[in-house]
This record gives sequence, C-alpha cells and structure tokens, in this order.
Amino acid sequence: MDSDIILVIVVGTALAFDFTNGFHDTANVVATSISTGAARPQVAIGFAALFNFVGAFISISVAATVAKDVVDAEVITPTIVFAGLIGAIAWNLITWYFGLPSSSSHALIGGVVGSAVAAVGFDAVLADGVVGKVLIPAVVAPLLAFLVAGAAIGISYRVVGKQRPGIVTRGYRYGQIVSGGLLALAHGTNDAQKTMGIITLALIANGSLGVEADPPFWVIASSAAAIALGTYSGGWRIIKTTGTRIIKMDAAQGFSAQGAGAAVILASTHYGFPLSTTHVINGGVMGAGAGKRLSAVRWGVAGNIFVAWLLTLPAAAAIGALTYGFTRIFGTGPLGPILVTLMALSLIVAAFARRAQQGAPVTAAGG
Amino acid sequence: MIATVVHTDELLKTVAAAVVAGIGVTFAFSLSIWGVGQFAELSRNERPVAAAGAAVIGALALAFVAAAVITGIIVMTR
Repeated sequence: MDSDIILVIVVGTALAFDFTNGFHDTANVVATSISTGAARPQVAIGFAALFNFVGAFISISVAATVAKDVVDAEVITPTIVFAGLIGAIAWNLITWYFGLPSSSSHALIGGVVGSAVAAVGFDAVLADGVVGKVLIPAVVAPLLAFLVAGAAIGISYRVVGKQRPGIVTRGYRYGQIVSGGLLALAHGTNDAQKTMGIITLALIANGSLGVEADPPFWVIASSAAAIALGTYSGGWRIIKTTGTRIIKMDAAQGFSAQGAGAAVILASTHYGFPLSTTHVINGGVMGAGAGKRLSAVRWGVAGNIFVAWLLTLPAAAAIGALTYGFTRIFGTGPLGPILVTLMALSLIVAAFARRAQQGAPVTAAGG
Repeated sequence: MIATVVHTDELLKTVAAAVVAGIGVTFAFSLSIWGVGQFAELSRNERPVAAAGAAVIGALALAFVAAAVITGIIVMTR
C-alpha cells in the first residue's frame, strides 16, 4: 500500500516535470519563428503544443533508454525516482527563474543518477548507458547541430543570394512553419519520452511492470498531454534569451537553425539517445549565426548558457541526492515524499508570486 | 570495448542522417525559393520558357522537401 502511494506521487511528479519541461522548453521551440516574424507568438506556441503532443506518440526508443540504460531498474525504488524528479524540477525552476535555457533532460538524468547514488551507491548507475547513450551524444549533438546549421545557412545564402529580399524572406518564413512544426515534433518525441521512461522505471521499481516492459499507453498519452500543456503555458523570459540575445536572425537563419535542430533530434531519437533538445536547438541557432558572420553571435550570452549546461548534471544530481537523504529521515514510507511534494509546491508558488511581483510575465498566455 | 560504450555505429548513423536531412532539405528548399524568384524575374523579362524551367526546378525541389519530411516521419514511427 505504502509503495502504491509513493508510486502515485511519482507519477504525479513525473507529469509535473513533463509540464515544466514543456514550459521551460517553449522558448527553444518557438523563439526562432517568433524572432524572425514567421509566426505570431500565440500561433507559434499553439502549433508547438500541438506538435509536441503528436510527437510524443511516434517513438519509444528514448523511453526505453531512460527506463533501462541509465540506472539499474532492479535496485531502484519509487522513492529514488521521486527524489531524482525533484532534483530535475528544482533545477528547471532555478534556471527558468534566472532566464537560462539549460537542459531539462540532463536535469532529469542528473537527478535520478544523484538520488540512485545516494540511495544505493555507484553500483546502481549503468555507466555504459550513461556515457554511451547520454554523455557522448550530449557533446556530439549540439556540435552537430551547430555545424549542420552553419553549412545549411552558407548553402542557402549561395542559392538565393541574388534573389529579391522580399521573396526570399517570405519564402523562408513559410518554410519556418514547416521547420518549426518539425522542431516541435522532434522536441515532443525526445522530451516526452524521458517522462515515459521515468514513469516506466517507477512502475518497474514498484513491481507493476516487468524489467523489459515498454511504456503502457496511458503513460504515453499522459506524458504527451503534460508536455503539450507545459509548452502552451511556456515562459517568455527564456524566449527572449534564445530568440534575440544569442543572435539577431533573419528568416533563412531561422529556417536553417530549426531544420538542423529537428534533423539532429529526430535522428538521435530514432536511435534512442535522450538528448538535451535545448542544447541542440541553441547549437543550431549559434551555427546559423556563425555561418553568416562569427561576430553575429553574442558569445558572452552563449558562454552563460554553456556554464548553465555544465552545471546542470551535477547540480540536479546534488539536489536529487539531498532530496533522497531528506525523505529517508522520515523512513521508507510515503511521509517523506509527501512532505517534499508539499515543500516543492510551496516554493513553486512563492517563485511564481515573486516573478509576478517583479512585473515579469510568468507565462506565454499572460504575456 | 570503447566502441561498445560509445555506440559508434548508431552515433555515425545519427550524424549521417542529420547531415543529409539538415543540409539536403535546406538546400532543396532554398532551390524552391530560387525557382520562385527566377520565375518572377524571367516572367517580367518576357522569357516564358526560361521562367517555366525555373518554376519546374522550384516545384521539384519543393516536392523533394515534402518527400523527405514524410519519409523521415515514417522512418521514425518504425
């Protein structure tokens, strides 16, 4: 009974994480379309939410990686998964508060690894999976997006360079409807699957599923809905960082950045790599900027984002480990997770209230 | 051992797919914009045959983009 209560808390927390993931990543998905004038903000966000939802249904490769290749499912408990989720949510909200587009995915994996190490020790971590399926793709994917976007924008300018600017801008703006949709689809399929993987891991840990089981349909559907709702409610503050502070883009750059990001994320998803979609999209944006002119990229802002990226795994791991330690003060029952959930909800409400007091728009709908 | 940890084969396939799709689709879409631009320019200059040729190139390029996107999504669902 106790473990079922914890499982319900974990599922609720995972869906809340999925919501914050969508909320946090709205900027990555729509910023280029908005900043180039290809779509009005509400339209871009609505499309992104819809494609996030659809994207969640097209693959389960990443979910399998998260559930089976990061930590040893046979020694994990639902409380460990819960603590990892809290680590990820806390880090997401901290970076959201400061307007930094860090990685929800790395926060999730960092949080779960941190809580697993705190609970069981390093034996619980599947080092091959973490290195081969998470860390190496984490380095390769943003670089790949950078290079592909840089090459793509170079080719674009060569092909359309002598055409009238009006036709070119209109053409790429139309193209951005497709490339933006694909990027949202890619984001939905990679990021929603991480939540599916985490819930599946918790179900396996609880004994509700076998170790080799795939995510049940209700897990897929609820993860899709949560990320789509989060995306629809997404934050303006990070949109500004991604869309205008890294580079000032034209429509061709926006198309190239989105196309490169979508291509890298979709290809990686197919092979089960749980990427940071944030890193990849920002890599594409920087590549599109650097491909036109190196000095067009505001490298100082890019550097701040890079530091946030570096901090994400260890910071989320530390919060996950501390959360697990805190829950154990109250034993192995549901009291610890319930108290942590109440504390986390209080902090979230306080953070939103403080942001509202500062006059900053909290959500897209509010902006 | 290193190759096993790194998943070299899957990583290389990912790189190849991303390069082909990212650069190929952008090139084809740019070509379709070029086709539209050339069609408008050549039509204004009363060169209908050349204009029609540019329009065909643009249309084919756009068809390639559509085919690539649809193929990509079908591959993803398998």
